[in-house]
Amino acid sequence: MGQYGVLVDVTKCIGCRGCQTACKNWNDLPAVKTTFTADWTNPPEMNFNNITLVGFHTIEKDDKVQWRAAKVQCFHCLEPTCFEVCFVHAYNKTPEGAVVYANPEICVGCRYCQLACPFHNIQMKWDEVFSRVRKCSFCYNRLVEGLKPACVTTCPTGALKFGKRDELLQEAKERINSNPDKYFNHIYGEKEAGGTSWLYISDVPFEDLGFNTDVFQKSIPKYTWKYMKKAPILAVSLPIFFAALYAYTKRRAENEGHGH
Amino acid sequence: MTNHFIDYQHSDVWLCIGANPAENHPMAFRWITKGKEKGGKLIVADPRFTKSAAMADLYAPHRPGTDIPFLLGIMNYAIQNNLYHREYVVNYTNASYIVHPEFGFEDGLFSGFGDGGYDKASWAYTGEKDPTLEHPQCVFQLLKRHTARYDKRTVSQICGTPEDLYEEICKLYAGTGEPGKAGNIIYAMGITQHTYGSQNVRSIAMLQLLLGNIGIPGGGVNAQRGESNVQGSTDMCMLYHLLPGYNPMPNANTHPTWADYREKATPAAGYWVNRPKFVVSMLKAWYGEHATAENDFCYDYIPKIYGDHSHMAMFKAMAEGKVKGFFAWGQNPVVGGPAAIQSRKAMENLDWMVCIDLFEIETAAFWKAPDADPTKIGTEVFFLPTGCSYEKEGTVSNSGRWIQWRWKAIDPPGEAHSDLWIADRLFKAIRKGYQQGGVFPDPIVKMTWDYGDDHYDIVKVAVECNGFTVADGEPVLNFTKLADDGSTACGNWLFSGYYNDLNDPPCKRRDTVDTSGLGMYHNWSFCWPVNRRIIYNRCATRPNGQPWNPEKALFRWTGTEWIKNDVPDFNANVPPEETANNPFIMLPEGQGRFFASGMAEGPFPEHYEPIETPFKNIMSKQQHNPCAKLYADNFAPVGSEEYPYVCTTHRLIEHYQSGALTRNQPYLVELMPEMFVMISKTLAEKLHLKSYDWVVVSTPRGEIKAKLGVTPLIKPLMVHSKLTEVVCMPWHWGFQGLGRGAIANDLTPAAGDANTSIPEYKAFLCNIRKA
Amino acid sequence: MFSMKKLSRRDFLKSVGLGAAGLTAFDAFGGASAEALLLQKRTDLPEFKLQYAEETPTICCYCGCGCGIIIHTKDGKVIGCQGDPDHPINEGALCPKGQAITDLSFVVEENPRRHSMFERPRVPNPERVTKVLYRAPFATEWEEVSWDWALPEIAKRVKATRDSTFERTDANGVTVNRTQAIAHLGSASIDNEENYLMHKLMRALGVIYIDHHARL
Repeated sequence: MGQYGVLVDVTKCIGCRGCQTACKNWNDLPAVKTTFTADWTNPPEMNFNNITLVGFHTIEKDDKVQWRAAKVQCFHCLEPTCFEVCFVHAYNKTPEGAVVYANPEICVGCRYCQLACPFHNIQMKWDEVFSRVRKCSFCYNRLVEGLKPACVTTCPTGALKFGKRDELLQEAKERINSNPDKYFNHIYGEKEAGGTSWLYISDVPFEDLGFNTDVFQKSIPKYTWKYMKKAPILAVSLPIFFAALYAYTKRRAENEGHGH
Repeated sequence: MTNHFIDYQHSDVWLCIGANPAENHPMAFRWITKGKEKGGKLIVADPRFTKSAAMADLYAPHRPGTDIPFLLGIMNYAIQNNLYHREYVVNYTNASYIVHPEFGFEDGLFSGFGDGGYDKASWAYTGEKDPTLEHPQCVFQLLKRHTARYDKRTVSQICGTPEDLYEEICKLYAGTGEPGKAGNIIYAMGITQHTYGSQNVRSIAMLQLLLGNIGIPGGGVNAQRGESNVQGSTDMCMLYHLLPGYNPMPNANTHPTWADYREKATPAAGYWVNRPKFVVSMLKAWYGEHATAENDFCYDYIPKIYGDHSHMAMFKAMAEGKVKGFFAWGQNPVVGGPAAIQSRKAMENLDWMVCIDLFEIETAAFWKAPDADPTKIGTEVFFLPTGCSYEKEGTVSNSGRWIQWRWKAIDPPGEAHSDLWIADRLFKAIRKGYQQGGVFPDPIVKMTWDYGDDHYDIVKVAVECNGFTVADGEPVLNFTKLADDGSTACGNWLFSGYYNDLNDPPCKRRDTVDTSGLGMYHNWSFCWPVNRRIIYNRCATRPNGQPWNPEKALFRWTGTEWIKNDVPDFNANVPPEETANNPFIMLPEGQGRFFASGMAEGPFPEHYEPIETPFKNIMSKQQHNPCAKLYADNFAPVGSEEYPYVCTTHRLIEHYQSGALTRNQPYLVELMPEMFVMISKTLAEKLHLKSYDWVVVSTPRGEIKAKLGVTPLIKPLMVHSKLTEVVCMPWHWGFQGLGRGAIANDLTPAAGDANTSIPEYKAFLCNIRKA
Repeated sequence: MFSMKKLSRRDFLKSVGLGAAGLTAFDAFGGASAEALLLQKRTDLPEFKLQYAEETPTICCYCGCGCGIIIHTKDGKVIGCQGDPDHPINEGALCPKGQAITDLSFVVEENPRRHSMFERPRVPNPERVTKVLYRAPFATEWEEVSWDWALPEIAKRVKATRDSTFERTDANGVTVNRTQAIAHLGSASIDNEENYLMHKLMRALGVIYIDHHARL
């Protein structure tokens, strides 16, 4: 069985954020408190209760402006670093392609996975020392029932397309080739981090959509694991460090009052 | 909408003007996207670079309130370059009609103006026609002369759209005038909410007639409606001037008696000749056995209007202390109405108010508004809690006129009840009082109101709307079965057919098989009239019955019969020649109107400036619509230095109208939490403002405080060689609910369209400063 | 017999997974693999809530597109929703307003005690008004009242206002049978049948100040 994936065509996304809401609705995630943001991306960043987020981006060039929306979530790497670095095996990479945080009861909250994720798409609570993980599961509980992910199902314009990854890759190439003036010639996720299940095509460069384009083009576990596993001290010190940092910044923010 | 959302996929070009479907009608964009995949081109005209504009092939910025020049300019381009659909224009419109020799137009006024209104004697046809369209006084030549004044240079100066870009748009859109091509104009409140909003709509309809785009798949005059049932509530005519089914409300001046009504409300030709059948059947539904031919079917029980009793007139009367009791039933005028500060003040004069809603909305809580002192407000307020859309059952009508049933999933919470239950109980409570006497109790105590004792039966209401035979109570098939002799009863003739089969009511149908091949889905719900999915569809074929575009053939005449992919809007039992001159069956002419004498301010649209504008009207000496309805005098003068910026309001996908529901939904409040104002980078630089500053926006009606967003999506427009800044703000917020913020309508003017009294929300003047 | 159209879960799954017209056919896994089931048992995902959901088709209460929505309920509580895959207009898709329609009745509660996906029940939306409220003249607060009290009280005020302002004829002697002292607004947000009864009710009283969203 080939792995599944999603092709995101940024040129078809109207930025409605149905996917962002559908994700919360399907996964029973509570709303978070927000304030106005000038670019309309809200919440401004992914968090424990927002495991997918639509970012709005204005791209100005020669007096012309473009406005694009791009949804991000776990990209479901073909060779996921989070899975590789987890020394208790809390993660699983399923045959369908989903990278699932499968065994929370044995997770120690070390944040290795969060640090190792090349896309920074794993969410944990900063105000808890040993937080568990929350991340996109590719709606695995829907996939096994024969349903598409909630975000794909709800997309009004077909900007998100679910299918076999190799077929989607082919389709992405065809869309670019048949319209080379429109599309930026890059399939994000084809090679990034050794390839991801989620693939993106766009008419603007991916840097302009806030995507990390410095990601290794080869799978990252091959590079990272030999270093990470030799440093068990990190397992203890990093959570404490980040929790302390969080507590510090939170207190500062409270002292300074809210607002931007 | 003349067409429907699924049909958007058949368009070759869409022109979105005064609409932002990507934001406000996202599922419309599903079908635009499918059409784009087949090569369709999208044009978006909007003062802001909207989400729809971001998807457009061509985007035209244009100043709020300048839709008429924009649209007439395209017509001019099509006529001058011979791109219009001549065969369609000659056969299906009134272009060939000769108009009264005294009809004329001079310096912004049509013939017959005087005393704030028009004597329309000269706006009449002579009865002659010139199919060559050459006669100087024929509608086509009048139109040609009228639109010739809107050359691209003039349009560009008024609208602020760059001239080259405008020409490119004209070329692309006028290209749909080619037979077989389909152009689709999509509009919404950006078109209607002006003191000349009706003429904006007329401009759209005229452009579509000129290019042969009405009645065909992929074409249409498509008003995207903002509420789930605004089509249905309009069809039910919750409007002062109408009875259900668009029958005029009896007017004391024109219809003192039933005989007058019958005579004056019934035209000599067109489908409305059936009006008496519809009205008599409605009166039979309302007054049953009491309604007889002898007593004019209880015509006198219906109250008579005498003037303007619209929203703004209502609040004016309230301010004057004439209105004592007020029902706000599923509507939040304190946030949604114009000049909201003055409206809240007016409500303080009420003796009592009944508010029926899901949440404690601003209207219910007007007495505790930030600027109100409850200890000085004597209004009694009753709040009746109701159920949400899936806590009850019934139908709603979408923009495409589909009347769809909603099933009930759960009960309303606590002691809340459905609106139908409340209406039923309220009527019974009132009737009980009148059964013991009162002033003229007959219209109440004799009204048919029998929907069950303890619990109402919605099927009884539905059958009454559908219509039935009085003798046996059996539902009628559709409105062709209605009579004017009292033998049939029907609450609303347009709904006739939606519930004509108790075992399989059409409005509940869920058959996904599309036999038309064009996405008409005739067995999914019911569409008025008589399940016709595209209206005026005689125009879908040539006069000889052959489709303009064989690949999208709604109908085809084989030589002996019609092949039908929709319910025909013409007699399909006769050869095409017999119906070729009558495709617009509702009009007495039977033909589409370029020249429409029914309009208050002229048979052709003409550019006037909004009531508040920085500019003098360069088209004529007539600055404003001479027939605009003004309900106040607190307007900024032309070119005001105190209020130098053009201001416009808009909506967001995350909120619905006044936010009465959505501001109490945590998921949506998370996405769009609070009120804000957006301006261009250039204006921000000039005023030394930056994003997240608190700013005060002021107009002569008042001022509001909100957070600022500075965006490259708004750019100043070059209008009459002057850079013009536009301030844009959503209007979804108020002082109640989870997500709160200032009320944008505290700023909007109480100025209304000459025909419909819709307020001019979309173009007014403001100032902005740091708070 | 036809008053409720409830879909069986099997129909629904079939249509979402395989039939969703116009979108890519998704070759369902043909039953979950043993590994998948094992994984799902252990995994920290919400259980597959549709397995016990009752499904009711409705039409979205927001814009005029008229999209179909399936409301998922269990024991009289809303547990989720999804675009109606059979609906020809939206074919299973929904915008955020349509998705959030569940919030009107039940909202997901923040549960600070647990991170698990299993422990976040939906609770009735606390903002909903569930009792009849009355605000007396010059009062600064609402008081809770009953329907049995409120409806006759409203009826009394309607009658008093109508009867003291009712016009049988106008200055020209034309029969007009109206009151100008009562006004009504609404509504494009409620059903056709409800609007119809409201129209009947108001015209029976002789109300001429009737208007609603369509003019705004």
